[in-house]
Amino acid sequence: MSDQKTPRKSAFGEVKGHIDALATGFKYFVDPHRMTLDYPAEAMELPKNYRGFFRLVDEKCIGCSLCEIVCPSNAIVMMQLPVAQSPAPQAGAQAPARPGPKVKKRPVVDWGMCIFCYFCVDVCPTEAFEPSSIHDLSYFEESEYRPTFEGFLKLPESPSKNSKKVVAKLDEKNGIKYEEKGDKE
Amino acid sequence: MMTFLYFIPNSWLPLLESAFYALIFPGFVAILLLAFFIIWFERKAAARVQMRYGPLWVSKRTGGIIQLLADMIRFSFQEFIIPQGADFIPFVFLPGLLLAFSVLPTVFIPIGPDYSHIFPSNYSLLLAVAFTLVIPVYLVALGWAADNKFSFIGALREAYLLVSYEVPFILAVASAFLLYGSLDLVKIVGIQEGTLPGIILNPLAAIVYIIAVIRATGRVPYDIVEADSELVFGPYTEYSSLMFGFVMGVPYIELYSYSLLFSVLFLSGWAPVTGIGFLGGLILPGIVTFVKSVIVMCFLVFLRAVYPRYKLDKAVRAGWSWVFYLALAALLLSAVVSRVLW
Ligand code: SF4
Ligand code: SF4
Repeated sequence: MSDQKTPRKSAFGEVKGHIDALATGFKYFVDPHRMTLDYPAEAMELPKNYRGFFRLVDEKCIGCSLCEIVCPSNAIVMMQLPVAQSPAPQAGAQAPARPGPKVKKRPVVDWGMCIFCYFCVDVCPTEAFEPSSIHDLSYFEESEYRPTFEGFLKLPESPSKNSKKVVAKLDEKNGIKYEEKGDKE
Repeated sequence: MMTFLYFIPNSWLPLLESAFYALIFPGFVAILLLAFFIIWFERKAAARVQMRYGPLWVSKRTGGIIQLLADMIRFSFQEFIIPQGADFIPFVFLPGLLLAFSVLPTVFIPIGPDYSHIFPSNYSLLLAVAFTLVIPVYLVALGWAADNKFSFIGALREAYLLVSYEVPFILAVASAFLLYGSLDLVKIVGIQEGTLPGIILNPLAAIVYIIAVIRATGRVPYDIVEADSELVFGPYTEYSSLMFGFVMGVPYIELYSYSLLFSVLFLSGWAPVTGIGFLGGLILPGIVTFVKSVIVMCFLVFLRAVYPRYKLDKAVRAGWSWVFYLALAALLLSAVVSRVLW
C-alpha cells in the first residue's frame, strides 16, 4: 500500500488515477490477500487473560454482595436462595452453635448487560468466579441472556470449541496472517 | 439445417428457431443462468479485492455459487407486503414490466450472422436502443407508486441522472451509426469484420457508451439511484419476498442487454466465427458474442470493488461536462474515421 498517490488535478491526472485504481483492483483480484478468519472451522487462540464468560463456584461464594456493588453496569443481581437447596453445606468439623441463616445470597449475571470488565472477578474476596476465555456465544431470545442460578454455575459451551486454533501474526505483505498454533514455537 | 428434428414439419422450423432464440439461448434461460453467475461473480470479485471471501458457506466446494439460489428460496417463502399507501396496480405490475422491458432489447440484438430470418429488420440498432431507454420511465413510476420517501428520492435521482446521461448515450450510439453508416446490427458487424473492431475505430464512443451503461444499470460508481447506504434500496425499497428478487435481478438483465449491444457495436460481435444455418450461423457465433458480452459484464461489475459512489451533483455535473464533451468528440471522430475509411 506504499504506492498510494493522489491523482493530479488535471484531466491527465484524473485519467491516470482511474487507470491506477483499476490496476490496483485487478492486482488484488488476481492475487488476493485475504484477512478473513474462516471462523467456525478455525478460531483465534486468545491470550491467557482474555475476559470471557465466567461462572460462579457456589462453594467459595460467601454472599458478600461486593460484586453486585462494584458492577458498573448493574448486571449482577443477588438472589435469595433457601439454604436447604444448596448442593453441599460444608460438613463442618464442629456443629454450628446457633442455626445458620435460612437464605443465602448468590450473584447471577445478566449477560445482556455485562460489559465483561471483570471488576466483579477482581473484587471477589474469595475468588468465587471462575473466568474463561469463551466469548463467542449468541442467543435466540432475550430471556436466554439471563441465566438461572443453576445455569450460572456452569460455563457455557463455546461453538468454536473443536475448531482449529490459530494465532494472528502481522505480515508485511498480507497485513494479517493466521498461523496454526502448533508452529508458533 | 436441424436434421435431428426430422419429425417436425419443415414449415415449423422458423417458429421453433425463434422460440429457441427467445426462450433458451440468448433469451430467457441464458439470461437467468447468467444473472446467477454475474451476481455471484460481483460479490466474489469485490470480496477478493477487499480481502474477504464473499459467499462461501452455501456449497463451500464451488465457492458458494448457489448462494443466490438459496437466497431465492428464502425470498419465495417470505410474505409479499404491499404498503398501505402504495398505488396497488403500479406497485404490483411495474416489476413485471421492468423485467419484460429489460429482456426485450435482446430480441433485436443479433448474436449471429443468420439472425435476419428470425427478426428481419433494417433498424435493429434503433429498436434495441429504443427499448432499453423505456426502462427508466418505469423505474421512476415505480418509485412514485411505492409511497416511501426512499423510493421517491431514488426515483428523483433516477430522473436527474436519466436526463444527464441519456444524451451522451444516444450520442455514443449515434456516433456508432455515423461510423458504420447503417442501423442494421448484422451489417454493422459485417463492416467491423472487414476492417477493425469499433472499439479501435472509435474508442471515445466506446468509453462514453460504457459510462452511460454503468449509469443506466446502477453499477458502482454510479449506484446513486439504489445507494444502499443512503436510500435503503432506492426505488425498490418497499419490495419484499420474490418481488424483491425480481427487482434485484432487473439491473443485471439490463446490464446483459447493454453488454450484448456493446459487444455487437464495438467488439465486432461474433467476429472470428461465421457461417450459415441454425447451428453455424446462430448458435456457434452466438456463443462468441455471448462470451464477449459476459467479459464486458464482468468488467462492469468488477468496478464495485474499486470505486466509491459518486455524489449526485458531481455525477450530474460530469454527465453534462466531460462525458458530454467526450460524446461530442466521439461524434466528430466517427465523422472523420468514416470519411477516411469509406
Ligand atoms: S464483568 Fe463487569 S459488568 Fe460483568 S458482571 Fe462483572 S462487574 Fe458487572
Ligand atoms: S461472588 Fe464473591 S464478591 Fe460476589 S457475593 Fe460471592 S463472595 Fe462476594
